[in-house]
Parts: sequence; structure tokens; C-alpha cells
Amino acid sequence: MITSFLGGIFLGWSLGANDAANAFGTAVSSRMVKFYTAAVIGAVFVVTGALLEGRAGIETLQGLTAFDLKKAVICSVAAALTVTLMTLLGLPISTSQAVVGAILGIGILSQRLDLSGLGKVVTCWVATPIGGALIAMLLYPLLGAVYNRMNLNLFQSDRLLKIGLICSGAYGAYALGANNVANVSAVFVGAGSMTVFNATLLGGLSIALGILTFSRPVMETVGRRLVRVDPYSALVVVLAMGVTVHIFTWIGVPVSTSHATVGAVLGIGILRSVKTVNRRMLGNIVIGWGLTPVLACLFSIALYVASNLYYVPD
Amino acid sequence: MLSFLFKKEHRVEALIYDYLDNVERTQENFLKALNACIDNPFCENFEFFIDRTHKYESKADDIREEIKTLMYGKTLIPDARGDIMGLLEAIDTIPRLFERILYIIQTQKLEIPDFLMPDLKDLVRLSLECCVLMRRQVVALFKKNESIRELLNIIDTHESHCDRIERRMITKLFESGITPFLKLQLKDLTVQIGEISDQADRVSKRINIINMKRRV
Repeated sequence: MITSFLGGIFLGWSLGANDAANAFGTAVSSRMVKFYTAAVIGAVFVVTGALLEGRAGIETLQGLTAFDLKKAVICSVAAALTVTLMTLLGLPISTSQAVVGAILGIGILSQRLDLSGLGKVVTCWVATPIGGALIAMLLYPLLGAVYNRMNLNLFQSDRLLKIGLICSGAYGAYALGANNVANVSAVFVGAGSMTVFNATLLGGLSIALGILTFSRPVMETVGRRLVRVDPYSALVVVLAMGVTVHIFTWIGVPVSTSHATVGAVLGIGILRSVKTVNRRMLGNIVIGWGLTPVLACLFSIALYVASNLYYVPD
Repeated sequence: MLSFLFKKEHRVEALIYDYLDNVERTQENFLKALNACIDNPFCENFEFFIDRTHKYESKADDIREEIKTLMYGKTLIPDARGDIMGLLEAIDTIPRLFERILYIIQTQKLEIPDFLMPDLKDLVRLSLECCVLMRRQVVALFKKNESIRELLNIIDTHESHCDRIERRMITKLFESGITPFLKLQLKDLTVQIGEISDQADRVSKRINIINMKRRV
């Protein structure tokens, strides 16, 4: 039973290692916050978010198709394989898309697929970057007006931005845990091998493990490579990502923090009439967006078929 | 509130004020040296104040290095780090100019002719006034106690006035009957003194940009 969960734990670990950069990447890569401070805050808030608000996403994903433990393991492994392959290809990863793609594969094979639930999920995928952009476009002038009114000197402004980045990073981590824990363990709840509480705890802890053990290189490189924005914009981006992902948590659909982040950066770019994300990166995001669920779906079908092959002697 | 989290930032702030104090001491000694030179170019006081100017200029350099080391040890957000270092390096040009001007007079044993004296005194007075205003502007950037924009306008006006005096001095020099070699030496001295207000103006504009950058 325990080994069956390993695929999920691996998925959670890679999710934590990759996606924590969206919450703390800017602060850590620019050396505003020490990695260990960011990692501990991130881990604590991911687990808190998962335990307090992770239930809704789990219920949506487990409702997409019927599971047994074998199918749940196949889903996890297929999603993990997709995430690994996409990472190797250097394309942006959405663990949510990988998991849903894998569930879809199982659903197609078992001919039991809740299309209304799937429609809700896909709509949310499209809405994530748009939501990120709109929320960033709303927050940027709103917080900016307050910030300007405070008339801070250079040191006060520095302190405020630093505290703001830590707080928004913590909120982003909370939203990540609350929203993405379903990716890690919803299939096991669907298979009846775990309670929702245990699933949120296992999912939260595995994401936290990824943050604590392997998010440093991603935070230090992805945080710098993704975009180059000023500290105030970085704060708005992280906050907009947190709010967007949190809204989708209430709706009950796991979405990608990377997509919300890129949407927020684009939103700020539109607002300020500057180019914040290059075309190549946008192209990669679009390719990743389309390829991830398809690959995961194919992997889960292939794994399911392979697991049902029997040796027939002549 | 939360000041215990920002010990290094407080230290950087204190060091910046310390640095500005040293620039002020350098300026005071530069003026004393120049006055001593005008009274008697080869007096002992002149040498004494040159040494003092050098001492404070070196101390300002040391403080700047300490600030740099402290800042790159994870203090302040990178944007602010770059702004402060750029600002301090720009300010640092001024004490170096003070030192250079005194060394020109000392090593070339220059004597200022009487016909240049009133303009030279005016140029020095206005240039140093620009430096005082510039320091007030730096403090305003960190304390927000007065308008950076207003100080920028005053410095700009002073700098334009200094440019006019500088041109007038050079014209007078080349119309005078002193030797061509002395003309070139004095022209170099005039240009170097004129550079003080130019640099103060550059620093002032930089401060204004740093301040503007912090508005959303």
C-alpha cells in the first residue's frame, strides 16, 4: 500500500521543487531573502494551505473518473513521467495539466469520463493566465496608489518591499498547497485508499519536502530567468499569482502557478506598455500548455495497457 | 517596528550619514586650504589643510568600501543596492576633485592673478554651495524631510551660473598678458573648479531619478 503512494509522493516532491519558485523565486534569486528562510516559510504555508483548503480540488479530480488503486498509481506515475520529460525538454510545467491528462487517459480506457467536470477544469486552465493578468492589472495601480501616498524614503520602501515579498510569498505558498495538493493525492482518495485529510497531509508534506530539498536551484535560476521586473512589480506578480490560484482553489480546480505568474507578468507589461515576457518564452508556454495533458494522457494509456499485458506461452 | 530584522540596513544608513559628514569635512578643509593659498600660496597652513583634505577624502573612501561590503552581504534589495552604490560613487568624485585642485596649485606652484580673484571666489563659493545643497538632497532622499525637486532646481541654477563664471574667467585669462604656459595652467585650474558644480548637478539629477523610480 505504502509503495503505491510513491508515485504521488514523487509528484508532490517535484511539484514543490518546481513551483515554489513562483512564490519565492524573485526574493531568493535577488538575495532579498535567504533560501532557508524562504524554504521553511514556503513549506509551512504549503502544508497549512493543503490541510485547510485542499479538499475542494480533491473532490473535483476524484469525480472525473472511477478509480481503483492500480489506476491511481498509473495516473501518478504517468503525471510524474510527463513532468520529468517536460522538465528535460525545458518546457514550462503544469503539474495540474499532467495529472488531469493522466486521469483523462484512464477515463477514456474505462469509458467513464465526467465531461462536465472536465469542461470546468479546461475552462479554468484557460482562465488562469487571464485571471492572473486581470488581478495584476487591478492590484498594480491599487497598491501603487497606497504606496505612493505613504511617501516612503529609500530605506522604508526597501523594508516594505522586503516584508511584502515574504508575506506575498507565504500567501503564494499557501495558495499552492491549497490548490495543488489535489494533483498529488486526489487519485488515491478516488481509489478509496485514503481519507481526504490523509490525502491533504501526505500531499502537503510531499510538496513541502520538494521545497526543502530541491527548490534552491529552481528558485535561484528560474526566478531570475523567468522575467526581469522591478521589486514592486515582483511583489504584485507574486500576490496576483496567490490570489488567482486561491480563487481557483475555492472553485475547486487545480491550476498552474506558473501560468498564473506569467499571466500576471503579462498584465503588468500591458498596463505599463512594456515588454515583460519574450516571444520565445510565450511560445514555450503555449507548447507546454497543449503538450502536457496530451502526453500525460498517452503515458497513462500506455502504462495501463502495459500493466494489463499477460504472457501467453505458445 | 520589526527594526531588529533590519540591523544591517540601519548600519548602512548610519554609514551613509557618516560618509556625508566626511565629505563635508573634506569640503571645509578644501575651502580653508584655498583661502590660505589665496592669502599666501606658500604658507604652512596651505600644506596643513591639503593634508587634512586628503585625510578626510581617504576616510570617506574607506566608509564607502564598508558600505559596499555590507550591502553586497544581502542587505537591501538589489535595486536599492545599485542605486546607493552608484550615488556614492558619483558623490565621491567631488572630494577627489577637491584634492586634485589643491594638488594642481601645490605641485605647479600656481599663483592666482588679481584680475581673476573676484570671479574665482565667486566660482568657488557657488560650487561649494552646490555641494551643500547636494548633500541636503541626499539626506532628503533618505529622510524625506524636504523637496528633492526644489533642491534640484536651485542646484541647476547655481550650476548654470558657475558655467557663465567659468567662461568669463577663461576669456579674461586669454585676453590677459600673462605667459601662454601660465594661461593653460590657470585654464586647467578653472575647468577643474567648474567641474565641482557640474558633478554636483549630475549627482542631483541622479538623486531625482532614484526618487522618481520609487514612485509607482
